[in-house]
Amino acid sequence: MRVFKGNPVSPGIAVGTVYQYKAFVCNVYETYVQPGDEQTTLSAYVEGVRAVNTELIAIIDDLSKRDPDKAKIFEAHREILADDEMDEEIRHAILQQRQTADYAVDRIYTENAVLLSQVSDVNIAARAADIRDVRNRLLRVLHGQKEHNLSMLPAPCVVVAHDLLPSDTATIDRKNVLAIITEVGGATSHSAILARAFGIPAILGVSDATQALPNGKDVIVDALDGQVFAQPDDETVARCRKKQAAYLLDQKNAQQYLTLPAITKDDIAVEVGLNIGSEVDWPEDGSYTFVGLFRTEFLYMERDRLPSEEEQVDAYRQVLERAAGRPVTLRTLDVGGDKTLPSLPLPAEENPFLGCRALRLCLKHRDLFLTQLRAALRASVYGPLQIMFPMVGSLEDLRAGKAALEEAKSQLAANGVSFDPHIPVGIMVEIPSIAILADEVAKECDFASVGTNDLCQYLFAADRMNPLTAEYYQTFSPAMFRVLFAIFGAFQRAGKSVSVCGEMAGNPKAAPILLGLGLRKFSMNASAIPTVKRVLRNVTLAEAEALTHAVLAASTESIVLDLIHPTA
Amino acid sequence: MTTVQTIIKNVSGLHARPASDFVGKAKTFQSAITIRSLDHPSETAVNAKSIIRLLSLGIVQGTRVEISADGSDEQEAANALVFLIDSGFGEE
Repeated sequence: MRVFKGNPVSPGIAVGTVYQYKAFVCNVYETYVQPGDEQTTLSAYVEGVRAVNTELIAIIDDLSKRDPDKAKIFEAHREILADDEMDEEIRHAILQQRQTADYAVDRIYTENAVLLSQVSDVNIAARAADIRDVRNRLLRVLHGQKEHNLSMLPAPCVVVAHDLLPSDTATIDRKNVLAIITEVGGATSHSAILARAFGIPAILGVSDATQALPNGKDVIVDALDGQVFAQPDDETVARCRKKQAAYLLDQKNAQQYLTLPAITKDDIAVEVGLNIGSEVDWPEDGSYTFVGLFRTEFLYMERDRLPSEEEQVDAYRQVLERAAGRPVTLRTLDVGGDKTLPSLPLPAEENPFLGCRALRLCLKHRDLFLTQLRAALRASVYGPLQIMFPMVGSLEDLRAGKAALEEAKSQLAANGVSFDPHIPVGIMVEIPSIAILADEVAKECDFASVGTNDLCQYLFAADRMNPLTAEYYQTFSPAMFRVLFAIFGAFQRAGKSVSVCGEMAGNPKAAPILLGLGLRKFSMNASAIPTVKRVLRNVTLAEAEALTHAVLAASTESIVLDLIHPTA
Repeated sequence: MTTVQTIIKNVSGLHARPASDFVGKAKTFQSAITIRSLDHPSETAVNAKSIIRLLSLGIVQGTRVEISADGSDEQEAANALVFLIDSGFGEE
C-alpha cells in the first residue's frame, strides 16, 4: 500500500478500481512503404475504415435512445468516414505515392479539415473539428489502440488522469464514476466544479497519479482528508469503509435540511438559490427560492456547432418552466480562460485568464452575442428572467453590454417579437476594479452576483488552476472578506440586490461569515444546499456578526481559519 | 456528359441535413458527379459525393449551381439531384 496526498476539491470517499484516462495522442511521421507493399497497405486502410465504422455504429446504437442529439454527431462522423473524395485521395496516396496508411490518413484528413475551417460560415467551419475527431479515431485504430473515453465506462471505477478538460467532463458517464483523481488542477478548476456539481468525490493535484495508480488496481479516494491509498491493505479498506458510512450518514442527516426554509436561529430569513448548467438534477421544491446562476456555456460546449437562436430559446424556456416562477439569472456566455469551445476556435493567448474571455469575447463576436441576447429576451416571456454579464471590469464594459442588449431588443421589436422590455440587467463582480467601483456600477445595473473564484484569483494574482500557486490562492483571507463587505454594502446602500454565486456561497464554513457580512442571498450547487442550510439554521445573526467582526479584524488567512474552525 | 443548372431554394442552403441528403442521393448513382457554384466562378467544380467538398463551397439560399454527371446513369442522376434541390429538401 502507498499513500499519496492531494487537494480534496469535492468531498466523499470511494473504494474502487482504477480506470486510467488518457486522451489519445499519436505521432505520425512522413513514411513510405517498399514497392510491392502498396496492396497490403491499402488493405490495412480499408480494414481500419471498416473497424471505425463498426465503432461508430456501436456508439450510435448506445446513444440513440438516451441522447439522440449526441448520436447525430456520430452519424455525421460516419458520413465523413465515407467521404468519396477523401477516400479517393487516400487510396491514391497509398497506391501511387506509396505512403503508409497512417501518414496518408493524417495528411489528407488534416488538409480537408483546414479547407473546411476556412469557410466563412462559422457552422461549417466548426465541422473541421469533426474531421479531426474521425481522423484521430482512424489513426488510433491503425495504431492498434483501444478507445479511451469517459462517456461510456464499462463499470463503476475511479477515474485517474493527468488532467480533465471540459470537453472530457462534458460527456462523462457520471453514474459509473466513483471518484476522480488528477495530477493537476485546483479547487476552482473546471474539473473540481463539475465534480462538486455531480457529487463525485475528487482529489486533484496528486503528482504522479498516472504512474502510481495502474489500470485495474484497487484504490481508495478519501476526499475528506485528501488522501489516496494505492492498493490498500484490508485494514485500511475496512477503516475507510467505516468512515465512508459515517460520512454518508452525516450527508443523509443533512438531507433533512434540504427543503427547510433557510432561517437563522433568531429568525433572520436568508434566500438559498441554485446554480445550474444545462444538465442538472433539479432538487425538490422548497429547497431553493431562485436560480442565481444559469451557466449557458454548457449549451455551447456539448455541441460541435454554435447553438441557434431557436435552440437557445428552447433551452432557456425549459429552465424557466422548470424553475416554475422562481427568478432565473442567465449568465451570458463565459468562455475563454480554461473553457474553450469546439465550435468557436479562439486564438491561443499568453495569459488566457487575463485575456479576451467572457463579455470581452462576446463584444468582439457580436453576432454570437446578439443571438444569445435575442434568445434570452424571447425566453423572458416564459418566466422571470434576468440577464447577467460576466467579466465586467469597468462601467464602459457594462454600458457596452447594455448597448448590445438594446440592439437585440430593437431587432426583436422591429420584427414584432414579444419580450420583457424591463428585463433586469446585472453583473458578475469578479474583477477587483469593479469591486472597488461597486458604488458607481450599482447606479447603472439592477443587481450583482459575486463570483468568488475569479475574484480571489484576480485579487491574489494566483492562478486557480496551478497547484504551485494553491497556497497563494487564499479564499479565506481577510482581504477577501473586506472586499466582499464593501461590495455587499455598496449594493445594499443603492437598494440593489446582491448575491454570491461563487463556490464560497456553497461552503458551509464560509456561510456564517457571509451572513455576518450582510449577505442574504446565497446561490450554490444543489449538492451544497443541505449542509449550508444546516449551518444557517444553527447559528444566530449575533453569533455570525461576532465571528465576522473578528474575521474583518484578522490579518492573515490562518487566523481566519482558526476562528471558523469551531463553527465548521 | 449531362449538365444542368438550378437555384438553391431552401432557407438553410446546402448545409447540415440538406447537404447530407444531397450527397446521399448522389452516391446512389454510378456516374461521376460534380457540382459548382455559378455565383463564384473562380471556384472549381467539386465531387458531389463528398460531403466535405460540398460543405466547403458554402452554398447558401439563392446560389445558382451547375451539376454535371458523366456515366451510364448520368441523365437520371442529373434529374434526381435537380429535383431534390427544387423540392427544397422538405423545408418550408
